[in-house]
Amino acid sequence: MFKTRFGKSSFYRNMGIFLALLGPGIITGSVDNDAGGITTYSVAGAMYGYRMIWTLIPSLIVLLVIQEMNARMGIVTGKGLSDLIRENAGFKITFFIFIGLLLSNIGNTTTEFAGVAGSMEIFGVSKYISVPVVAFFVWILVVKGTYLIAERIFLIFSASLLTYVVSALMAKPDWGEIGSAIIRPGITMNTQSLTVIIALVGTTIAPWMQFYMQSSVIEKGLKMKDYRFTLIDIFIGCIITVVVAFFIMVACGSTLHPNGIVINEAKDAALSLKPLAGEIASQVFAFGLFVASVFSATILPLATAYYICEAFGFESGIDRDWNEAKEFYILYTGILLISAIIILIPNAPLIDISIWSQVLNGILLPVVLVSMILLINNKKIMGNYTNKPFQNIIGWGAVGILVILSLALLVIPVISK
Amino acid sequence: MTSLTTFYLSGIIGKEVFGTDGDAIGVIKDLLISAVPSGLNDPNQQLVLGIKLKIGKEINFYSFNTFRVVKAREMINVTCTDLIELHRDEVNNGLLLVENILDKQIVDLNGRKLVRVNDVRLATLPTGTFVVAVDIGIEGLLRRIGISLPIKKFLSVFRVNIPAKFILWDDVQAIDFSNLNIKLSKSYAKLHTLHPSDLADILEDLGKKSSTSVFSALDEEKAADVLEELETHAQIHIIESLPVHKAADVLEKMPADEVADILDEIEDEKAEMLLKEMDSESSQEVRELLEYPYNTAGSLMTTDVLAFKPGLTVDEVIRELRIKKPEPSELYSLFVTESNDELVGTFTLRDLVVSKPESAISLIMRSEPVFLYDDQKVDDIAETISKYNLLAVPVVDRQNLLQGMVVVDDVVEDLINKRRTNKR
Repeated sequence: MFKTRFGKSSFYRNMGIFLALLGPGIITGSVDNDAGGITTYSVAGAMYGYRMIWTLIPSLIVLLVIQEMNARMGIVTGKGLSDLIRENAGFKITFFIFIGLLLSNIGNTTTEFAGVAGSMEIFGVSKYISVPVVAFFVWILVVKGTYLIAERIFLIFSASLLTYVVSALMAKPDWGEIGSAIIRPGITMNTQSLTVIIALVGTTIAPWMQFYMQSSVIEKGLKMKDYRFTLIDIFIGCIITVVVAFFIMVACGSTLHPNGIVINEAKDAALSLKPLAGEIASQVFAFGLFVASVFSATILPLATAYYICEAFGFESGIDRDWNEAKEFYILYTGILLISAIIILIPNAPLIDISIWSQVLNGILLPVVLVSMILLINNKKIMGNYTNKPFQNIIGWGAVGILVILSLALLVIPVISK
Repeated sequence: MTSLTTFYLSGIIGKEVFGTDGDAIGVIKDLLISAVPSGLNDPNQQLVLGIKLKIGKEINFYSFNTFRVVKAREMINVTCTDLIELHRDEVNNGLLLVENILDKQIVDLNGRKLVRVNDVRLATLPTGTFVVAVDIGIEGLLRRIGISLPIKKFLSVFRVNIPAKFILWDDVQAIDFSNLNIKLSKSYAKLHTLHPSDLADILEDLGKKSSTSVFSALDEEKAADVLEELETHAQIHIIESLPVHKAADVLEKMPADEVADILDEIEDEKAEMLLKEMDSESSQEVRELLEYPYNTAGSLMTTDVLAFKPGLTVDEVIRELRIKKPEPSELYSLFVTESNDELVGTFTLRDLVVSKPESAISLIMRSEPVFLYDDQKVDDIAETISKYNLLAVPVVDRQNLLQGMVVVDDVVEDLINKRRTNKR
């Protein structure tokens, strides 16, 4: 807690406020680069080289606009997104959103454990050891109530995501080629490239992030006068997400793509980096994957359990005990357990699970975004802080594009069969 | 026809109302009850007064007196003998069950916490239709998506029940009155039965708008007690959203050290405005406290202390206490000072009680007391308090003049806050 008595210089005061408020955007941005994200970026890089990097620019803009809306809603109303949706959209829509969120997050958490299993296998640890150990560690961490300390440790560790920058540089990329690929991607639109684009956007802007972002803003007790600091925080968070994504694509695009290596998992990326960029680059890649997976495997089930309880009116929170918040603990433990068990089943259809959770995300995201835009333009809720026209244009534009992309994702497999 | 019919709000919203000739009249949108509780256990506060009907394209409020709800073969039917439009005032003074209650958070007065309403249970008696209870259980949720009965039947095969959770209407307090123009203090009357710290917990969980309106409805004494119990960011939000004069009135009722802590966190300009608005005696004390740097004894101390001259007798001191009627925490420790405020000793209530009435204070006091300097860092204050088994430590300036005292409550609060930052 920062406390400044009257008369301190405004520079230190501002720095103090900024450091104290730092967090929601940066944490959300870091969790965003989870195992699913790393996999998608690696696969895209291996498959298309630098030609998919341009998707990061529209993703960044939409991400910024959406997270700013979440922060503003949290600051003005002091209410979580699930609260607002339940109170204003009625129960049926709430029910649909949260059942979808539950299923897609079980899928996402499964992907996180796949990341844990894959990265530890690089270091020679069997998944039958690493997954139960990590699952138990994560469960204890949250239930024993040291979550806040954990969050900070993770935040420091998530700097290890920047190791992807190292991996990418060791792969000696051709910067001129990257530049021209961003300006002129030269992608031919077909089923495969469209699927990759949808997956890239879907993993960068996941529905659960909106709920997470808004609650962290409330948790921090941010106020409208702190708004500009919050903007900086969001900006840094989004930039981190996109920069990490960029370097993963560069790393895989400059090593795997020219050699025609096709991969399915992030683990494959780490393995195939070894002969091309060296042992260290491969291990650095695997370490980043591990930390990101554990971080997200901690936050995803917890956040999901929170929002479902909030929307359905169950007692929630790790400061309550089992008897007080039964539904909360059942949900939290259940998500964690199911996800860990799926990974341990031999020959589990992991790729199908990750594709289906992406599809669910794709369907949920426009619904959540439409609810958000309707809520934030409601004067009764937001007072003078409703959206400005340009925010609505970007918001509705994003919804439109996402709906078209998601429909395409659903329709294309049917047509192409 | 039975004289008692019970039904759920979710069961009649969106249903058609039929007239005496059996024709459909309109679709039910909402039910209206009185927003102002006339007193606990008064059945009239639960009476359904009006109904919001959509007839064709128009939506209007009608008196519920001419409506009846009957159950025939598990089917709910609503019939109506006459349409009497409600007066605008009656609508404005009412609470709408769908708009203000359903899906919203309300206060469970017995559980002293916020709950979310999944459904509302009503009953029709010969004397009218009444709100009986709110449903906050899983069954209510399943009913809303229309799968409660099939799931119940399915589970009954395994002899498993879905636990139903109801709270009687008498034991709840609605929070959302956003559509009303009436005086809120009356509507929130039931909240006054809650302890300030429970009320503070509830306010922290509410949205910003609701927490401000609930807080504004409290009287100044209660408001001050609640404000003291709130967490820092909630305190700041409340103080910044209240009109300056109202905020100042509440702050005057609070101990100066608590006020200083709050003002410390808000913008200097706003703090200055509040200090100007407060009465000069209170604001002077706060200003003095604000001058102490953070983490010194001075910044943590309260200036509400009781000091007596050494020449007084036990009886005189007790008599003075009876007149002053000090707050409990002021009695944690009593002080003896010379006429220039120099601290010469401390004594406790126990000392007073066990001594002869005519003994002089200077004889029963503990001279050379444990004390802190006002500019002293207070990292080890908890140790001092626990080592000497104290409830309060006097704070003096470098001239040994009494400035205030640090009470154990504030130290405990400080310790808990430090731990809470590590634990969620």
